[in-house]
Amino acid sequence: MGDKIGVACIIDDDSVYVNLVKRIIEAKQLCKNLLVFENGKNALNFFEAILTNMNQESIPDIIFLDLNMPVMDGWEFLAQFTRIKNRFGKIITLYIVSSSINPLDIKKAKSISTVTDYLIKPITITELESIFSMA
Amino acid sequence: MLQNELFNKVMQEFNTGYWELRGDPYREIWSDRFYEILGYSKKDIQSDLDFFLENLLHKEDVEVFRDNFLNYKNNQVNFKQHIKIRNHQGNYQLFRCATNNELPVNIKSEVSIVFFFEIKLEPDQTIKKDNFYYKETAQMTATGSWYVDFQKKESYWDFETYRILEYPDDYIPSLKDSANYYTEDCRQLAADCFFKCAMAGTPFNTEIKMMTSTKREFWARAIGKPMYNESKEIIGIRGVFQDIDDIKRKEIKLQKSVDIIAGQNSRLFNFAHIVSHNLRSHTSNLSLLVQLIEDIDEPKEKEELIKEVKTISSNLNTTIEHLNEIVTIQTNNKQERVSVKFKDALKLVVDGISHMINNSHALVDSDFSELKEIKYIPAYMESILLNLITNAIKYKHPDRDPIINIKTYIEGKKKYLKISDNGRGIDMRLFKDKIFGMYKTFHYNEDAVGIGLFLTKNQVESMDGTIKVESVVDEGTTFIIEF
Repeated sequence: MGDKIGVACIIDDDSVYVNLVKRIIEAKQLCKNLLVFENGKNALNFFEAILTNMNQESIPDIIFLDLNMPVMDGWEFLAQFTRIKNRFGKIITLYIVSSSINPLDIKKAKSISTVTDYLIKPITITELESIFSMA
Repeated sequence: MLQNELFNKVMQEFNTGYWELRGDPYREIWSDRFYEILGYSKKDIQSDLDFFLENLLHKEDVEVFRDNFLNYKNNQVNFKQHIKIRNHQGNYQLFRCATNNELPVNIKSEVSIVFFFEIKLEPDQTIKKDNFYYKETAQMTATGSWYVDFQKKESYWDFETYRILEYPDDYIPSLKDSANYYTEDCRQLAADCFFKCAMAGTPFNTEIKMMTSTKREFWARAIGKPMYNESKEIIGIRGVFQDIDDIKRKEIKLQKSVDIIAGQNSRLFNFAHIVSHNLRSHTSNLSLLVQLIEDIDEPKEKEELIKEVKTISSNLNTTIEHLNEIVTIQTNNKQERVSVKFKDALKLVVDGISHMINNSHALVDSDFSELKEIKYIPAYMESILLNLITNAIKYKHPDRDPIINIKTYIEGKKKYLKISDNGRGIDMRLFKDKIFGMYKTFHYNEDAVGIGLFLTKNQVESMDGTIKVESVVDEGTTFIIEF
């Protein structure tokens, strides 16, 4: 295994899901640090703050983004994030993780270059492990 | 050419006289059989329309035949007509005149043809009988004939037209009054049809709303075609009105049902998506939880995880309750509408949430003077008012007490309910399409569930209404319901 992932980030409003993933990541020691935002707006505020203070340490290597969220949903976050993603000085891998099986959502997500892949909930522990080992 | 062979065969079988219409040169070719039936030889008569109209055709039939023939020649309008033609002995023989559409379907002719099928009459079978059939047909099919003469500037109606349009027998129809025969929204169409027919000779066949002398409106099929004189100028329009009100009303009703079904279908589809999505989020959590429980060896940690099942199951219950509420709306819309007074419905709602109103120092102002009541399902009216008022209070502006204005009004024929507040507003640029979506919330409130507006929209739409929203951030939000 290569370098372990430093910071992972989950953007999701489903607290049950977030808790479960958190437990898996801790149990499997998949990364050192895990950031959780309950909607796109909070996450975007965080990323914009990084740009002003350039704290390299806290820039996530990987993002798991939900689509259906209050205040700012996954699509809006993607649009905003795509505009600033090149200014972080490192590659941030982004996965959409959603329970939507609507083919239109999947097609739309895959057409956005910022998105590495579209994962349909439920994700499995094995899936999570392999994603973290690839990144 | 095979086509031609087939055609010739058919012509032989018909064993009838016919004319072939040629565009270039502009003349008719009369078949040998045509001469033969009437006992003429080619030298006896001149084979053109003018000669035919003047010398061979019975005077009674001339005008109608001329119109039919020219219409057929110029506009390819097929026709059928009974005519009497004078034979070599000076007697009249009866013929049924018909055109290309009499040909068997698999035979197509590039030229236009007029057939003359001879009809052998018993001595006492006269045209009078024809007249009887005509009258019978007109009455049974509710078809009135009419005719406008441009030269005499007069209009004529037959008995059935008088009956359909409910005018007394001594009424004299006139072009000047013709606007009165059509409903206001159809007058332009009627004028266009007549004008095109009169100027360009374009026949018309259209569905139109007509009006009787007693202002009763009904749907009619209006058919008209130009009439020509000897020098082939348009001198009038002849046509029929058929009362098709029953059929048309059924058609309109049917279209309405189709629209309603399409609307229901789309709501159902939407609902299926919602069910699928909302249930999936819980089942996928459950599946993830099971994986985790299996993966962990520590018994204590396992026990802790099992508690999570409780959370998931309670979330699942909430979701199913929400879905139930939506299903209830879909089935409730068959409930009978009763007269609902806005004032009473509002009082009920305001009394129910008086605690919330007092705590937030909200002011609810209402004006129902323009529209006091409406036929509605009372529970929906209360639910709609409750949702919109509590929303206005929940999302009040942090710097001021909420003021909620409720007003009903009528615009045109439509009835409206408007609820506006001075709250923090919704960013329409971001949320325009999502405001009425399920589980969409736009603010950071802890108690935002995202079900209220979704239910409101469903209730309004299930009663065939619409709901619209206008909002400016920091100024307020206005909901307008059209009933």
